[in-house]
Amino acid sequence: MTDFAGMEDLLQDFLTEAGDLLSGVDNKLVDLERSPDDRGLLNDIFRGFHTIKGGAGFLNAGELVTLCHLTENLFDRLRNGELSVTAESMDIILAATAAVRDMFGDLERGVMPHVADGALIASLQGAIQGVAPLSAAATPAPPAVATKVAAGSPQVTSAGAGPDWQLLMSAVTGARAPSTAAVQAALPPAEPELAPEKIISAALGRRATDRPGVSGPTGRREPERVRDNSIRVDTARLDQVLNLSGEIGLTKNRLNALRRDILSGRNDTETLHALDLAVSQLDLLVSDLQNAVMKTRMQPIGRLFQKYPRIARDLARNLGKDVELVLAGEDTEIDKTMIEDLSDPIIHLIRNAVDHGVESASDRAAAGKPSKSELRLEARQEGDHIVILVADDGRGMDAERLRAKAVAKGLISEEEASTLDERQSYNLVFLPGFSMAEKISDVSGRGVGMDVVRTNIQKLNGAIEIRSQPGKGTTFVINLPLTLAILPVLLVRLGAQPFAVPLSMVREILPIEPNMVHDVGGRATMVVRGEVLPILTLSGLLGWPQEQVPGYGVLMQTTDMAFVLAIDSFAGREDAVIKSLDDFRPKGVAGVTTLSNGQIVLILDMKELLADGNAMQGIPRSALIPAQGEAVSG
Amino acid sequence: MADPKLRFLVVDDFSTMRRIVRNLLKELGYANVDEAEDGAVALQKLNAAPFDFVVTDWNMPNMDGLTLLQTIRRTPQFKHLPVLMITAEAKKENIIAAAQSGASGYIVKPFTAATLAEKLEKIFEKMGRSGAA
Repeated sequence: MTDFAGMEDLLQDFLTEAGDLLSGVDNKLVDLERSPDDRGLLNDIFRGFHTIKGGAGFLNAGELVTLCHLTENLFDRLRNGELSVTAESMDIILAATAAVRDMFGDLERGVMPHVADGALIASLQGAIQGVAPLSAAATPAPPAVATKVAAGSPQVTSAGAGPDWQLLMSAVTGARAPSTAAVQAALPPAEPELAPEKIISAALGRRATDRPGVSGPTGRREPERVRDNSIRVDTARLDQVLNLSGEIGLTKNRLNALRRDILSGRNDTETLHALDLAVSQLDLLVSDLQNAVMKTRMQPIGRLFQKYPRIARDLARNLGKDVELVLAGEDTEIDKTMIEDLSDPIIHLIRNAVDHGVESASDRAAAGKPSKSELRLEARQEGDHIVILVADDGRGMDAERLRAKAVAKGLISEEEASTLDERQSYNLVFLPGFSMAEKISDVSGRGVGMDVVRTNIQKLNGAIEIRSQPGKGTTFVINLPLTLAILPVLLVRLGAQPFAVPLSMVREILPIEPNMVHDVGGRATMVVRGEVLPILTLSGLLGWPQEQVPGYGVLMQTTDMAFVLAIDSFAGREDAVIKSLDDFRPKGVAGVTTLSNGQIVLILDMKELLADGNAMQGIPRSALIPAQGEAVSG
Repeated sequence: MADPKLRFLVVDDFSTMRRIVRNLLKELGYANVDEAEDGAVALQKLNAAPFDFVVTDWNMPNMDGLTLLQTIRRTPQFKHLPVLMITAEAKKENIIAAAQSGASGYIVKPFTAATLAEKLEKIFEKMGRSGAA
């Protein structure tokens, strides 16, 4: 059970908002390292900790309040020019920020934050005093300031002059907590202040009072993770949805009236023209509404990006490299669920780039490159998909070495290796068990990452590819659909039955002509622009009987392979709204969609179909040759 | 004592905090609450619609609470508006600055509904005495 029974909503709000705030602070800290005297930056960071402290107070999270308060005090002195940012104080500040994030982690699990590391608190206090952190850590917090300010507070009482003074004083030194306020302002409390329990219930409003046994377990809620399923939407966008629904209502009324007219026998040109107009209008409005609703799920990817510069900086520092992460296209909007699922893959790509992509300082100097390397994280929308780039200016990838490595690891055979071109060789890093680093570093881990990155991107219906230039750098390109709700598909037919395949996998459609089909090891293949591709029939993949000779092939590209999917005919493309089959999901079917004529179409999950080893065996050439053609070739 | 018709403007850049204050006010019987995320937005809202009470945070981007307070006191049509400052700062200088700028009250985070009720009570009392209300 959680320490926050009855205040989950408040906690949720706090975590979302304070989390964003802390990411912002992290970024500003990276900027601060570059321009340590920027008053604006110092002020912003000060305000960040100050705001988090204020919210944490209402959650009764004393440890978090203490930590934020100390950090805030340090920034107060920094922004007032009483202290200046040094490498040592920067390290303390970063450690404090990390500790704040840890405490958010505790809150997310629904437990009160643990006590902050004593050494950290001591060095913060030392830094506030302007003492070098090393000696400060050894000395206990000097009590001098406490006495000084405590002595100062009686003066406050007597210093009152204005007419409001009495009132203001009683506000501060109010009955509830007479001295804590003054002490808190003066020196960070050594122990967490335990505010009266009342504060919690009060902050929650009526919720807590509604429940008689507040401290008892509250039932269903999982304490494990207070995960945020809510979304913050700009009211302007919601207004747009509301407007459109209103207009659709009006058009519906218009159609109702027209139906009445038509049913009562009016079918003159004017009525039909009005009907045509109303239907076109409805068409337009519905697609506008779909877009507007989709937009409510869209969030700027900057929210995700902003936590990376700090991560890149820390990694680079650990490895003794000088790396700057440059962000671009932060305003690009992407489905909220995707933002969350992209977080880990991008972290991994950044780690990989800093660790393996970027050369050491000496190697860079030898190659005549500037000592600071630039890592770019960029997002942009291209048509109906989103492209995310993680690009380094490092040494680039060596296809030959990658192949040798994969063979040495037993992931592929020598023969396979020799057939791979550069692009395919780069893709070897996505194989499970492939790790390029000779030694296992604690930065990039044990090579469990890249295959997981690709799997995660594929789960989002996306694709990842690698472009690399020796000596110039490597770029990982992630392609993602705008949303997971709508899937562009190609409709293909097997006999009279239509099926939908994701358009993202389709490279081209071509006719299958008998003289283009070759037999390689008992399997039918086709040569398309010099590339030898196996032919797999859709009937074979589905386990259906082949009733006629397939007339067309769809050139499909998955991350592992390209092949020609043989089909009877095709019926065009469509934007499918996927309805998932929750309880009943046949193998190889991702979901269903409805065509304009009301027919239900199965959307195929190609990956699942291809996973079946038997289906992958391919078919003999003869199965693709019409009867008389066979006679000629035989 | 609570006049449920009183229109409150809660100013804070942290929406969680606005929600806390809104809930506390609701608990005290004040349901007519609008929100603004900084001093500049607050001034726009004050100019657009009548309010009876301003509850503001101190530390905010764009325009902080103290500047908001000073602007309110300088503007003829707002100058009698009660302004309650809410902040995590309990420093002497801050309280003096708030008092000198004409804050009607000052309250330190975190606080309870009872504390808030007490502050509001005092402010209403004083307004009643001076005949401003």
